[in-house]
Order: sequence, then structure tokens, then C-alpha cells
Amino acid sequence: MAGTGHAQLRDRDDVLLRIKDLVVQFPAGRRRVVHAVSEVSFDVAEGETLGIVGESGCGKSTVARAIIRLVDITAGEVVYEGRDLAGLEGEDLRKVRPRLQMIFQDPISSLNPRRRVRDVIAEGLAVWGDDIGSWSRDRIDELMDAVGVEARYGARRPHEFSGGQCQRIGIARALALDPKVLICDEPVSALDVSIQAQILNLLKDMKRRYGLTVLFISHDLSVVKNVSDRIVVMYLGKVCEIGSTAEIYSHPAHPYTRALLASIPEPAPTVDAEEGDIGDELPSATDPPSGCRFHTRCPRATDVCRDVEPVTEQIGDIDHFVACHHPVAVEVRTG
Amino acid sequence: MVEQASAPAPLLSVRDLHVRFPTERGAVNAVNGVSFDLYEGKTLAIVGESGSGKSVTAKTLMNLLPRTAQVSGEVTYDGQDVRALAAAGTKHFFGVQMTMVFQDPMTSLNPVKRVGEQIAETLRYHLGRSRSEALEEAEELLEVVGMPEPARRVSQYPHELSGGLRQRVVIAMALACQPRLLIADEPTTAVDVTVQKHLLDLLDRLRRDRGMSMILITHDLGVAHGRADDVAVMYAGRVVETADARTLFFDMRHPYTEALLRSIPRIDDPVHHRLDPIPGRPPELIDPPEACAFAPRCIYAQGDCLGGVPELSGLVGLHRFACLHPTGTERGMAAMSANRAAGVTAAGLPVADSGGGG
Amino acid sequence: MNAEDRVTGKPKASRDPRASRQRLLWRFRILRLVRPSRVSDDSPAGDDSAVRRRLGFSFWLAVVWLLIMAFVAVCAPLLPMADPTKVAFSGPREPPSLDAWFGTDALGRDVFSRTMYGARISLAVGGFAIVFGMVVGGSLGIVAGYFRGRLDQAVGFVFFVLLSFPALVLAILITATFERSMLVVSLTIGILAVAPVGLLSRASTLVFAEREFVAAARVLGARNGRIIVRELLPNVVIPMGALTLLGMAVAVVAEGSLAFLGLSVAGEDAISWGKMIVDGAGLRDLQNATHVTMFPVAVMFVTVLSLNFAGDRIREYFDVKELAF
Repeated sequence: MAGTGHAQLRDRDDVLLRIKDLVVQFPAGRRRVVHAVSEVSFDVAEGETLGIVGESGCGKSTVARAIIRLVDITAGEVVYEGRDLAGLEGEDLRKVRPRLQMIFQDPISSLNPRRRVRDVIAEGLAVWGDDIGSWSRDRIDELMDAVGVEARYGARRPHEFSGGQCQRIGIARALALDPKVLICDEPVSALDVSIQAQILNLLKDMKRRYGLTVLFISHDLSVVKNVSDRIVVMYLGKVCEIGSTAEIYSHPAHPYTRALLASIPEPAPTVDAEEGDIGDELPSATDPPSGCRFHTRCPRATDVCRDVEPVTEQIGDIDHFVACHHPVAVEVRTG
Repeated sequence: MVEQASAPAPLLSVRDLHVRFPTERGAVNAVNGVSFDLYEGKTLAIVGESGSGKSVTAKTLMNLLPRTAQVSGEVTYDGQDVRALAAAGTKHFFGVQMTMVFQDPMTSLNPVKRVGEQIAETLRYHLGRSRSEALEEAEELLEVVGMPEPARRVSQYPHELSGGLRQRVVIAMALACQPRLLIADEPTTAVDVTVQKHLLDLLDRLRRDRGMSMILITHDLGVAHGRADDVAVMYAGRVVETADARTLFFDMRHPYTEALLRSIPRIDDPVHHRLDPIPGRPPELIDPPEACAFAPRCIYAQGDCLGGVPELSGLVGLHRFACLHPTGTERGMAAMSANRAAGVTAAGLPVADSGGGG
Repeated sequence: MNAEDRVTGKPKASRDPRASRQRLLWRFRILRLVRPSRVSDDSPAGDDSAVRRRLGFSFWLAVVWLLIMAFVAVCAPLLPMADPTKVAFSGPREPPSLDAWFGTDALGRDVFSRTMYGARISLAVGGFAIVFGMVVGGSLGIVAGYFRGRLDQAVGFVFFVLLSFPALVLAILITATFERSMLVVSLTIGILAVAPVGLLSRASTLVFAEREFVAAARVLGARNGRIIVRELLPNVVIPMGALTLLGMAVAVVAEGSLAFLGLSVAGEDAISWGKMIVDGAGLRDLQNATHVTMFPVAVMFVTVLSLNFAGDRIREYFDVKELAF
């Protein structure tokens, strides 16, 4: 959108997580606020992998952290299995925590350097009372085996492992509590090229093995395409485009999505290279542009974009929603 | 050992470069015999993962290594011995003839000085410009690198600029003395894709307009593919394959190049395409065995791969690779079939006997 | 120039490009220091002990001295020494001899035995004071750094009041009001240690609380108490613990200063190095019987030096280790 709207919310029974009009603001001093996430809505069906893609400052990580309540939600709903997580506090919140787990970007920073990796993986079980019983010992061995870290290294500390292995340990820790939803915040961007594929494949295997629903956040369009069933494109705290992965990549309708696809080193064949020329300057999130937030960099912007915020609208009757006054003409297809 | 392939003398020529860092755990062999040529007006991309020695190579060229580093080998720039120049403390060479742009622009920028002053300083020191001349020229340079509103930017501090704009300032500084060779070390790793495109376009344009040569150090194969004339792939401190970009990406010979290209997701792959990761992890650089460094991860590995380090074969300037069983050749096919039949490589890596084998 | 750069850490930007090169160099050196294991993607087979840094011979020398002093302090009554309180052991102000190694003081008491007994109070006061400072200041700092907000402001205010209040006045106030028992003297010095230790622990907590493993623990459902004890404490204790010996050195000296003001532990039985120095600090003693003050001063000096030296080496040792992540 850079816009608002709920057209993309699906009325289906298997929707596991529904984010509606989510707003996250941070104080920025002198009574100003950073509009990190502004009225974002989307949903995730059970067993689905939803990719959230956008550049730094688009709010994708903040959305993830808001869902998991690591940052405070200013307004809006995060409905998980019929309960609004946004309103939960204290013990009520703590009790749902095991259901939604997270994998972090920096595999080194996300492991406590003073603890043995076995204890790191077992932390969830220890918190919830299954202390060092034989049951949990088997469970830890099974998890270490599943993520490909040899159980005999369990007594070592994180700095003795490489980045890729630390990420595997982080995945095992997240899976220990048998979560329903796994939120992956840039899980491979800190890793070497040859290791990324190992972790991506592992995540896919874990998803199948443990029946996970995945929220996959990344700035890398190729990686997101590889793992996601559906995709949300975000810009400056707003949703630009939502739809099935194949649809978004083959018929990108939002000028920003097209700019992203045109900017990658080996551009997607569906866009022209010039569409990537949108200028360097990301507007300030403390004082976002009026109307459509993308209008300051958009090659198709007109007066209406400056004044009126676009609302997500469905393209034809397929799984493709765009928030733009002038979407790039795509022939209306029927699904 | 190696014959020259073509007549014109290269601008930069590196021969058998070795760099070792003594550490408490033993010497780290960061660069182990790297050789390449760079011709006037060309871009050479050096591609590799962390620990491959690509950045150390660049820093060696720029004489930026810590004193503890042990360097051997020849570096010739336009007929001059670069290491001798460095040892003699020659002024007006590094930063003038040859210059470098780093991944983090703040490495080269002084946070408490206006960006115009910083560019002007370079001009005053190396070219002896007066203060006012230098400031004027700084503004022009900012315009050349596509800085919006250059007149206003000269009096801004680095922290007032976005990452992309800072990198433009650094590029402007690098260009100030009209260098003939620009070394860009992961210049776009810290920025977003749309900004990355602009910066790479800018570097491309500047190189063409000014007839510069460029060494582009990157871990991103896509960047190398789109922006370089020649590509050198490094692994464990060695160049394992080098060729013109087209040949390297479409007719590669080294199994590492092939495996790396297969392991990365691409935008035109179908959704949920199963990736082909490289098994294992990069090798130790301390006391490496006398063997092909990639052998433990290579599905082609045979007994002879473990017997010694393969030489980079072929003519300088043409397609060269350091492999005894190159992919896409009969030897390679035979090695792969043998490994598939055995279910395991000579280095002990299990290989699935998939249908494609022989 | 190179040496200068390393000392000042941040060389000023000069127009000499060699300076800017040095600046880059300096950065690389730091980078290499910070991530030694990244040079070669570390394998789990990597041997832990190989990376471990050495503390050096002089460190161990200091430790041996401290161990001897600790042993003497603990076992003083069991050791074959003269009674330190017994008057007229062989006559007043005897110079050192085979009988009385350090000589005798104005009352004819054995200076050697008094110095050894003095280690008891000096080290106990020093040790107790710093432990008190660590426990109270450390926990306040962690709690303030983790919860932030109002609590942080309140704790910060207390710390700054403590720091701004003249230490000597506070010490005199407390020791004048209460009976000067060992506990009170130790507490007095301990209270003075709370603010500096607290600020340190707050600062390191702030750094670690930002790290993602704390977020991960919260996502797993760990309560705040568990996060503080399991995730933050082990990380914050290391830099603080490394400062224990340095803090103890300061506390031992502080006890000496209080003794000089006549405010150390009261009673004839309570011997401390500070009190011994005061005893021998009369003009006559200083002129004619230097040994009465010289020996306790020397032992105290070597002990404080050892504490500082060992403490500093430990701090360096862990700082580097700390940066390795």
C-alpha cells in the first residue's frame, strides 16, 4: 500500500493466525513516533508458509515481533486460534507462548554464550517443567538428530560451532516445545552461501516432520520464493501486495514489487530493468508520506496517490491482492 | 609454468600470492598461491565465501594487512612492483593509482567531519589543490556519483546520510584522484536490493566513462554474473576456477563452482524447488592437508584428489580450473559414475545412486 | 605513528593518507581480535584449550602471594607464632632479630605475628566489603538494566546519590553512629562499593538484554526471574567477577584509610594493617623504629599490588574472551 484494507483476509476455517489492522509505533523522542507498522492485515492458514518480503525499514521484522509479543502492539488484533494475543498479559500470554516460536537472524547472538547447547535446546522443556527426566533427554537427542547436530557435541558451548550449526541449534530450541507456528526472521541472511541451502532445506523438512505453519521473513526475493506458498510485500510499514507466490512473481502488479524484482542482480524476466530505478531515499518512518507511502519514489504516481491511501483490492477472482491506485495492468485472469 | 595467453600487458598482475597470519592456534593460510591478471578497462569479480581469502587478497593489493601478516608472491601494477612501492612508503600511489571501496562506508568516513571536507582532503593531499578548489571539486564529484542535491550534501555529516548515500560519498572519495584501478570489497552487501542496483549501475558507468579497471569482491554470484567480464572463484585461499563470466556460469569445470550455483535459490526456479546444498562446511585454514580443499565436500572426489593439491591448469586469461576430475568432462563423468556406483566418494562422502548416474 | 594509534585507539583524522590507512589497519586488527574463530569457520572438533589465552608467570606469582596471605589469615592461630597481643615479649622497639623477625613495637609486641594476624581483618574487611558491593550493587544493576523504565530511574538515582555523597563523610557518619565492629566497618566500605559495581552491572546487562537469546528465552515462556538468573547473570557475573580482586584492593586500602582516622574495627584484639601503621606512625617511632610501620606497609603494599595485578590480568583475559562472540 502502501495501503490498508481487509480484502486479503480469507474467510476459511483453517486460518490459524489472523493479523488485522496491526499498528506498532515506537517513541522517537520529542513526542514523535516511528510508524513501524501501520494497519497491516493478513492471515496464515494452517500448514501454510507465508513469506513477508521488503527492504530494511519496511516493518517486516516488527510485524513478526509483534505477533510473538516481543514488541508492544499499539493497536489491532493478532488472532491465533480464535484468541486475540494482542490483549493477553502475564500468565495468559506466557501460556500461549510455546505455540508460537521464533528463529532469529543472527545465529551467534541468539544463543547464550555461557550455556551448553544441550541446555539451550532443553530450555523450553525446563521452563515448562520437564526437567532432565529421561523423556526429555530422548527428546533433546531426537531434536539434535533432526536438525543435524551430533548429540555428542551437546556439552559444548555455542562459540565452538559454526554459524550454520548455531542456526541448527536455534531451530532445535524453537522446536522443542512442539509449536504450531514457527516465525523465521531472516534465518539465512547471516550465513554463507553454501550453508543457506542446508538451512532452507532443513526448515522445509522440519515443517513437514512437525506439521508447522511458517512465517518466513526475508529481504531476499529468491529465498522467499523458494520457501513460501503465499507472499506479503511490505513497504514503510504498509502492505503493498499479497498473493500466492507463483502469482506475485509471475504477474507483479504493484510498482514497488516490480521495482524489487527488477533490482536483484539477475532480474526476474517478468519486469524491465528500468523499473528498478526508484531512487535511494527511503522516506522517514517518523513522518511517512501522505496517501500512498510509496508515492515519493513511484514512477506511476499521480495526484491521487499523494492524497488518498489505496485499499487492497482483489485482482480478478484469484489469490492476488494489491493496494495501488495504478497497478501495472495485468490481464484479468480467472482462477 | 604458466604461459601468457595474449599480447597486451595486463594492468595488474598477481603471481603466486601467499598470505599467512600467525595465530595462537597456528598459522592461518589465508591465501595460498593466487595468480591472476587484470586488463585495462575490465572488471574481475573475485567470488567466494567467508574464509575463502578474497578479502585478504584485496587487502594485500592495497597494502592494508596488519604487520603480522606474512606475504610472499609478486604483484605488478603497470610494470611496477607494488610490494616494493609499499615497502618504500611511496606516497600518491595507494589511493591515487589504485583505490578501494569497503563494505561498510563508515570504515572510510570520519564521523565528525563534513563529507565535502573529507573528499577535499584527499584532493588537497594527493593533488595539491587549494582548499576552495578542492571543495568545489568535491561537489562535482558528488554530482558524478549521482548524489541528489550535491551542494547541500557537502556540508552534511556522514550520520545524516543513508547507507546508500554514504557509499556514494566513499565512491566519490575513491574517484577523486582519477584512479586506474578500483577495488570494491563487497560494496553492496550492507544495503538493500534497490540501492544495490543503483550502486552497481554507478560503478559500471564510472568504469566505462573513465576507462577504469575494477576488482569486485563479492559473495553474491548474481552480482558477479551481471557485472563482471571475468570471474575468479576462490575456495580455501586458492583460485579454483577462473574464466570469462559466461563460460564460468554456463560451462563451469570446477565442482565447487557447480555446487555453489546449484545450492543458491534463483528467482526463476519454481516455487518450493528443492535446493541442492553443498554438504559439510568450509575447511580449516590452519594446517590444511596436502589435498584438494574441496574434496571432502565434492561428489566427484577420487583417490588422487586426496593425494595433492591440484594445480590451476590452462592458459592465463583463458578458462582455468584446479580440478583433476572436472565437471562436464569425461574424467568428471567417470568419477561421478564410479562414486555413485560405490555409494561413497574417496573422501568418505555418501553419494546417492540417483538415476542420472551411469 | 603506528604505536600512537594503538595507544589512543582512535587516531585523529589527519590529512596524511598514511593515517587513514593506519585507521583501517587498526580496524582490521580489531576485527581479527574480535572474531578469531571466524578466520577458519570453526569446527566443533576445534579444541577449546587451544584457543585459551595464557595469564602469564607474573599473574601466578601474584596468585601465590595472595594464597599465602589467605592461608596465613585463616590459620593464624594454628601457626607457631608469638601471641600478637602479648605485651613485653622481649622489650619495646626491638629491631628485627631471629626471635622476632619483624622486631617488636612500642609495647613490645611481635610485629611479625601482628602483621600475620592483621591479614585476618584487612582481608576479611576487604573481601566482605566487595562481596557486599557485588551482591547488592550487582543485583540492583541487573534488575535496573533488565526492567528499565521507572525502576531503572529509581535505582540510577540511588547510585548517583551514593556517588555524589562524600565517601569519607559517610564512613565517619556510620562508624561514629554504630559500634565499630568488623561487620560495621565492612558494611561501610561495602556500601561505598555498591554504586560503582551497580553501574557496571547495569551497563553490561543493557548490552546482553538486547541480545537475541534473551528474546528467545522470553518466547519460550521463561519468566523474568528465570531470564535474569539463567540468561543474564552468567554473562554479567564474568565481567563483574573479574573486577572482584581490583575492588578488594581498593577495599583493603580503604580500611587502612579508616584506621588512620581511628575509625577501623575497635578493640585491642582487632589487629589490622591500617591500625598497625597508625600505631607506629608517631614521630619517635618513625625516626627510631621504622620497622614498626615498614613491615605492615610492605605486606599491605605487596598484597594490594598482587590484587591489582591479578585482577587486571583476569579482566583482560575475560574481556578478550568476551569479545570473541
